[in-house]
Amino acid sequence: MTLARTYQDLSRPGAGGTAPLSATAAAAPRSGRLVLSGIYKRFNSSPVAALHDVSLHCQPGEFVVVVGPSGCGKTTLLNIAAGIVHPDRGSAVLDDKPIRFPGPDRAMVFQDHALFPWLTAQQNVEFGLRMAGMGAAERRQRSMEALRMVHLGGSGKKLVHELSGGMRQRVALARALVMDPAVLLMDEPFAALDAQTRTLLHHQLQLLWCLTRKTVLFVTHSVGEAVRLADRVIVMHAHPGRIRKVIPVQLPHPRTFDSADINELARLVRREIEEEVNRVNAALAAEDSWRPKETADLGAPAGDLGSGI
Amino acid sequence: MLLLATWEAAFRTFQWRPFIFPAPSQVLDAMLNMLGISSGFGKPLHAGWPLVAREPLDSSPLLSRVLHSPLISADLVSAARLVVGFAISVMLGAGLGAVMWRWIAVDDFLGPVFLGLQTLPSVCWVPLAVLVFGLSETGILFVLIMGSAFGISLSMRDGLRTIPPLYHRAGLMMGARRWRLYRHVLLPAALPALASSLRQGFSFAWRSLMGAELILVAERRGLGFLLKTGQDYSDIAQVVAVMVVMVVIGILADRLVFAPIERRVHLRFGLAGAG
Repeated sequence: MTLARTYQDLSRPGAGGTAPLSATAAAAPRSGRLVLSGIYKRFNSSPVAALHDVSLHCQPGEFVVVVGPSGCGKTTLLNIAAGIVHPDRGSAVLDDKPIRFPGPDRAMVFQDHALFPWLTAQQNVEFGLRMAGMGAAERRQRSMEALRMVHLGGSGKKLVHELSGGMRQRVALARALVMDPAVLLMDEPFAALDAQTRTLLHHQLQLLWCLTRKTVLFVTHSVGEAVRLADRVIVMHAHPGRIRKVIPVQLPHPRTFDSADINELARLVRREIEEEVNRVNAALAAEDSWRPKETADLGAPAGDLGSGI
Repeated sequence: MLLLATWEAAFRTFQWRPFIFPAPSQVLDAMLNMLGISSGFGKPLHAGWPLVAREPLDSSPLLSRVLHSPLISADLVSAARLVVGFAISVMLGAGLGAVMWRWIAVDDFLGPVFLGLQTLPSVCWVPLAVLVFGLSETGILFVLIMGSAFGISLSMRDGLRTIPPLYHRAGLMMGARRWRLYRHVLLPAALPALASSLRQGFSFAWRSLMGAELILVAERRGLGFLLKTGQDYSDIAQVVAVMVVMVVIGILADRLVFAPIERRVHLRFGLAGAG
């Protein structure tokens, strides 16, 4: 309850502003240290490694965003942290415990919400608690609290298909947060939403993160999203998947899109990605056997006249 | 209604080959007779016909007469067979479908076989049932199960395949492991498929049962047997009346049981159209 109330205070117009919320946030988190080291993964269908010697250390409470061109293995990295995919070499460790299976200490928010259509919004939020064997009364209370955090306190009884895209994603976020996980894994959670809803959810996610201080590993295509949310932006290198560049973002949370610092950083990240995309395209062109026909009949350039004498 | 009225009028006017084309009133009469109620509908086709007079009606109260009438008892026998056979068929079919979905090797092996057996008209199982089980209830149940289980298992398998793998992953991430994953994620996710295969499977089961009862006259009971009796006595009115009853029961079961189940599931999942 206190969490929900604080959140509502913060989200009142004028309450947040540009003041560094991180300072007012809850006590520094003790858990949520995610250490991926020397990860190597190659899928059977591919000749190149999806991930080649990738190491990533997420501090407790840190918001890490991974960006990169498609096929750079960023989703694979996330799935390894989730325990859905196992690396060929290297280790994934959360709070000194190796990650072997998917488990409720790491909550995942998917691009396509992945809510269960046979359950109501609230039952969806309760699902993980139910699997953990929590009693019905406590479950109901915790899930209600989580739904209020995402401003859906009144929609708990609705079925999934009765919710809008943005609402579904907020329920998915509540479903992840209610488990009180050490790490929040987010796989392009806002990619399928319209721009306005996305901006709104960025703001809500920032406020929620400032309050809960979960470690977040967030994968996205969007540079603006990355720079706005992240403490650290990881730009990936494709074919094979490696870390190309790490760009720290040392700006106070919550942030707005239009600040000059954000734009400058976004420009930096965008340039990195463009270079990476160009490199990948050039590499693909080199592998390609097709060449434009060389025009042979231009004759010798005039500057060469008399050069053989 | 108009069609029935025209038919009745035509019958009364022309009297053309009455032993082949019974009037609706005669069919109704036959139906009421089978229900143990005497009626004045439909005049006799001609004297001394049908060849065997129906049993004289006793004077017991109407309700008990109806309850003990041939049609009701035949319905009850057929319904009991249907419930038992269909339950076995669903468990067997859904189970096999799930196994085929879970293990590709099983599907590679059984899938084509089931597809082939599904195209086999269920009545073709009757000779085999007679040879193996004799003229018995088991034989009838066997035909019913063979006629519907394959279709159910195939549609169950196809339905399970439409479950997004995302649900599987989401369930795992929230701590649903092993049987809990099946119980709380995969089974509910399969409900639309299950509902559709139930509905489809029922019509197969009903048809198989009627076919089996008609030929495999075990213990001389059931709706199919009543139809057969009509044939044996050249009682065209009874034949048509029993056919009407079969159709009505089939439609009622579909409309009152299986269609509502399917609709509820679809509404829940947001698969149904507006309304």
